[in-house]
Amino acid sequence: MIEIKNLSKRFNNNVVLDGIDLTIHEGDVLAIIGPSGTGKSTLLRCINRLEHPESGTLSMEGLEIDLAHSDKKALVELRKRTSMVFQTFNLFSKKTALENVMEGLLVVKKMNKKQARETAEQELRNVGLWDWRNHYPRHMSGGQQQRVAIARALAMEPELLLLDEPTSALDPELVGEVLDTIRQAADKGYTMVLVSHEMNFVRKVANRVIFLDGGKILEDGTPREVFNHPKSERVRDFINRIERMSAPEYSI
Amino acid sequence: MNKLFDLEMVFTQIPDLLEYLPVTLELAVGSMIVSLILGLILALIRIRRIPVLRQLSSFYISILRGTPVLVQLYVTYFGIPLLLKAINYRYGTSYNVNAVPAILYAFVALAVNESAYNAETIRAALQSVPQGQVEAATALGMTYFQTLRRVILPEAIEVALPSLGNSFIGLIKGTSLAFTCAVVEMMAAGKIIAGRTYRYFEVYVSLAIIYWVITITLEQLIRIIEKKIAIPEDVPEIREQGGAAL
Repeated sequence: MIEIKNLSKRFNNNVVLDGIDLTIHEGDVLAIIGPSGTGKSTLLRCINRLEHPESGTLSMEGLEIDLAHSDKKALVELRKRTSMVFQTFNLFSKKTALENVMEGLLVVKKMNKKQARETAEQELRNVGLWDWRNHYPRHMSGGQQQRVAIARALAMEPELLLLDEPTSALDPELVGEVLDTIRQAADKGYTMVLVSHEMNFVRKVANRVIFLDGGKILEDGTPREVFNHPKSERVRDFINRIERMSAPEYSI
Repeated sequence: MNKLFDLEMVFTQIPDLLEYLPVTLELAVGSMIVSLILGLILALIRIRRIPVLRQLSSFYISILRGTPVLVQLYVTYFGIPLLLKAINYRYGTSYNVNAVPAILYAFVALAVNESAYNAETIRAALQSVPQGQVEAATALGMTYFQTLRRVILPEAIEVALPSLGNSFIGLIKGTSLAFTCAVVEMMAAGKIIAGRTYRYFEVYVSLAIIYWVITITLEQLIRIIEKKIAIPEDVPEIREQGGAAL
């Protein structure tokens, strides 16, 4: 169980997160939705402290961390136990797919080369890219790069996997393969927090959805509850607008 | 009457000059290595915005880029003995000024001067590495220095290499000023030979040829290194096409 308390973050005068409390249970696939600019990504980035919040604590088994003032050691510990998949993949461009996945195993987990290689090869096999292990990122499609990034994240065996709009930078054609890969990870029981605009995917994969707006969580429930019976007006508006976009233009 | 221009001599005295090539190269390679280390430290101070050190490094870079190398050579040549004297006087030590080898003055001056230029090249190269990759390394749990060594530097080197190569070529030619610090390298050797034969023009032509050949060789070397560290153009072959299903 991961407990986040009183998480606040503002950029100058713009309050992005306003005292967020959030409990993530083991095995949760939690999707964060909401209008753009409401701090969905910021929330995610505060959890592994890529973004420095003004206040907030995080506790998970054996680790209590004050996100606002934490020492480097605690931060490394936190990041060891969480992994992140980015919107823009962020693979190391001078390393091959295999080296990308091995990097954290070698440097952070201090595995020996042989062990790291075996683990990395297995992870690449899982995302269907074993054949591509010797390719450099620039020789791979966006979808393939993102799958390598997912393999890199999963190789660290994180207790919490953070996915920050993992399909937003992809050609529509390539979205499917990445979503399939994420779904496999979800089926394996990884605890995940996902920021996504793929509402259909969220409906299918997430077991819990939160709606973020104005720095607060307006809605928190199962996809069915949030999408079909939203409690607040604001959420209803948002859902309606999205439904209208995805609805066919004509129906007979 | 003597010949106006002795072409043969231009080539016959090259071996005599080349005897001092090791001094020139020692000076150039040594001060390049030191300047790279200093430059990296200066660049990191500026990127990480370390207070106090950052202002000092700006000041250091400003002075060194704002004064001629020749002046810097003289300042070290006359400054280090003064400094030693002051230390001897103050602490009662007895360092011998004359025991300091002349090459050390030139070495210090060139390394320090070069570091100011390299600092800016290295800083720009380090900052050219996409922030996303740094974030990815951080998110994996790597420390800043692990990220620097394993992710940032390998990429930054590729960016910095052409400029650093340029500055190394400049440095090699810069060593020809070391004779002002009483270092006998190729330039000084040439002056000595010319003083004996009164064939100044021939010696300088010989020197020009030598420096030019060194530069050409270096250019080629840099090109080879550049190719070697670049991500290969050709994509590796995939044998079992589509063999791995999702």
